[in-house]
Amino acid sequence: MYNEIISHIKNRKTEIIEEWIDRVKEAADERMISVVSEQVFQGTSYEFVDLILLNLDENNSEYKSKLEMFSEKIVRLGWPITFVVSGLRTFTHVVHDDLIQEKKISKDREGEYLEFLDNWLAPLSNEIIHTYASTWEKTVSLQKIALQELSAPLIPVVEHISIMPLVGTIDTERAKLIMENLLEGVVSHRAEVVLIDITGVPVVDTMVAHHVIQAAEAVHLVGARCMLVGIRPEIAQTIVNLGIDLNKFITTSTLRKGMEKALEMTNRKIVELEEVN
Amino acid sequence: MRIPILKLKDCLLVSIQWELDDQTALQFQEDLLKKIHETNARGVVIDITSIDFIDSFIAKVLGDVINMSRLMGAKVVITGIQPAVAITLVELGIRLDDVMTALDLEKGLEKLQQELGD
Repeated sequence: MYNEIISHIKNRKTEIIEEWIDRVKEAADERMISVVSEQVFQGTSYEFVDLILLNLDENNSEYKSKLEMFSEKIVRLGWPITFVVSGLRTFTHVVHDDLIQEKKISKDREGEYLEFLDNWLAPLSNEIIHTYASTWEKTVSLQKIALQELSAPLIPVVEHISIMPLVGTIDTERAKLIMENLLEGVVSHRAEVVLIDITGVPVVDTMVAHHVIQAAEAVHLVGARCMLVGIRPEIAQTIVNLGIDLNKFITTSTLRKGMEKALEMTNRKIVELEEVN
Repeated sequence: MRIPILKLKDCLLVSIQWELDDQTALQFQEDLLKKIHETNARGVVIDITSIDFIDSFIAKVLGDVINMSRLMGAKVVITGIQPAVAITLVELGIRLDDVMTALDLEKGLEKLQQELGD
């Protein structure tokens, strides 16, 4: 019975594809269609169906590698996973409807037939979902590494003064990294004053403040002084409203003022050179 | 094993070279206070560069020693706290807020001289 169905599907390939493309387009988002050009859409659809049909043949090894390639291609094209999976589902319906129309299956054997269809297409959708998921996982882990690299540089600007500019949200993991970099840096650069610049930190909540305070205390322990610079008006408001006590720290609104103060603390100042005539 | 306490002009120098156990720490507390009394020292530098690990008891003893010394009129500077030790202390919630700290022995002595005003 299966062979009959398979040969039938192969024979009516073009009709099935056309019907399928129509239905998919109908269901798909307008935006989705406009992003993908007509040609790519058609081409990919044919490739998709070829692949599905290839699955019917027994030759498994070729199918597997082709399936992997195809999944990767779809992911690269940036098609949403819902679109692809619902497309696969629509294909099942199209084949089903077509077979019924052509009276290839009798009513009493429908259950058996549905099971066959399911066994046929389920691995395909599984593989596609798997490829999507692994691609996402890869992207997420790459981004995590990239973020860690950008996380917390300590810059020795002048002798005895170092600056750590913080950009972006601070979570517990990052706070730990910041603290380690800060302390190692203070010791290796022999800094006396460290400025933590929070201009680039969008929100300062109790947790962020807690981490910054901890870092400042640790800096005090290794024998340097810590200054908190780049406090924007809205951050000053949040800090006071949340009742966070930063009185023990020297704080300034901008890095420039902080730098001046830091120079003052190390008994230095910036002087302009007299003009040479 | 006792920790040696050296006198340098009107300061006392202590270099802790190995991890302290509770007994040694208490012994050290007693010795240091006795020495301050004997020598009339005005400043103490405790260098803990070689210590990589500190527990809450040792931290408490250190804090106590500092407060006791202050009562006896000697200022204390702790020098050479390792980053890992600093992190542990902060995580244990031990602040040592009003304790002077310095990066190394040299800077510690400098700071002490400044504080003592000579």
